Amino acid sequence: MSQENVNDFESPNIISLLVQYLSGMQGKSFFERFENVIFSLMAMGILGVFIYLASRKISLIPGRWQSSVELLVEGINHMFGELLGTHGKKFIPLAGTLFIYILCMNLLGLIPLMKSSTSNLSTTAALAICAFGCFLYTAIKEEGISGFLYHLAGKPKGDRWLIVFMWFFIFPIEVITVFIRPITLSLRLQGNISSEDLILSLLAHFGFGGALVLPFMTLLALLAAVIQAFVFSFLTTIYLASIINEEEH
Amino acid sequence: MDYKAAFALAIPLAVGLAGFGSAVGLGRAVSSALEAIGRQPEAMGKIRMNMFLGCALIEAITFIVIGFAFILLKRI
Repeated sequence: MSQENVNDFESPNIISLLVQYLSGMQGKSFFERFENVIFSLMAMGILGVFIYLASRKISLIPGRWQSSVELLVEGINHMFGELLGTHGKKFIPLAGTLFIYILCMNLLGLIPLMKSSTSNLSTTAALAICAFGCFLYTAIKEEGISGFLYHLAGKPKGDRWLIVFMWFFIFPIEVITVFIRPITLSLRLQGNISSEDLILSLLAHFGFGGALVLPFMTLLALLAAVIQAFVFSFLTTIYLASIINEEEH
Repeated sequence: MDYKAAFALAIPLAVGLAGFGSAVGLGRAVSSALEAIGRQPEAMGKIRMNMFLGCALIEAITFIVIGFAFILLKRI
């Protein structure tokens, strides 16, 4: 009940208008419940069309679409590749996909009749569970379950009092640090994007006075969209790199 | 003091404290980044990237507080 009252200020989007239009018919609850899924599928479709247009005629001297996609891929390779090292080159697609997908979903909310699906906790929680699941799977495959727990306790070796000390003090803090990561990842992205959308729709409710502040707010929303997408994928890369590159110390 | 008055006092105070905390934190982070750029101007790109990452992490708590304040606002 309180969850519905919070969204009183949201501006209308295509799906909510559709729901109002067919308010007497049967299939209404489907569109109402799966609003965010439809918008994330729309982001997927836009990205698919973009990549299809870019890869139609791959030549050595690139045209306009192909060079923009090459710029993006080169930048992602450069930025995430030096963190992950040679051993983690297979995780660059995960990080790059998270970045491009979240960026597209964030930017979709700034178009007048659409809504970013990352402004809902369900979408961001799903993304955070994917990233954290990859982290856990890699950690357990790399070192085994007991090895992972050993790694969390700081690899205690030596006197018996040192082992007891590390297991008693360092291990709970490290467990909490690791397992709170999906919560903070999802809440950070959701809080940022929903706050930006909320402020934009509040400015629309204010009328003419809000129109003066609107350009600055839109700039801030664009900046926040790009930065939050980058931070999500960058943090995932850092978590993965902290597990992979442990043996070289 | 009934609970509505208490809410009306507490929620703007919470939002203001969140704003103050994030302003202080961001000011410190950006100032140290600028100082590092002044010491070594050719590392500006890397320093700028790390500064944005730190700023986003600091802002996360502010946005969680704002969202929570909005949820509480509807319970008055």
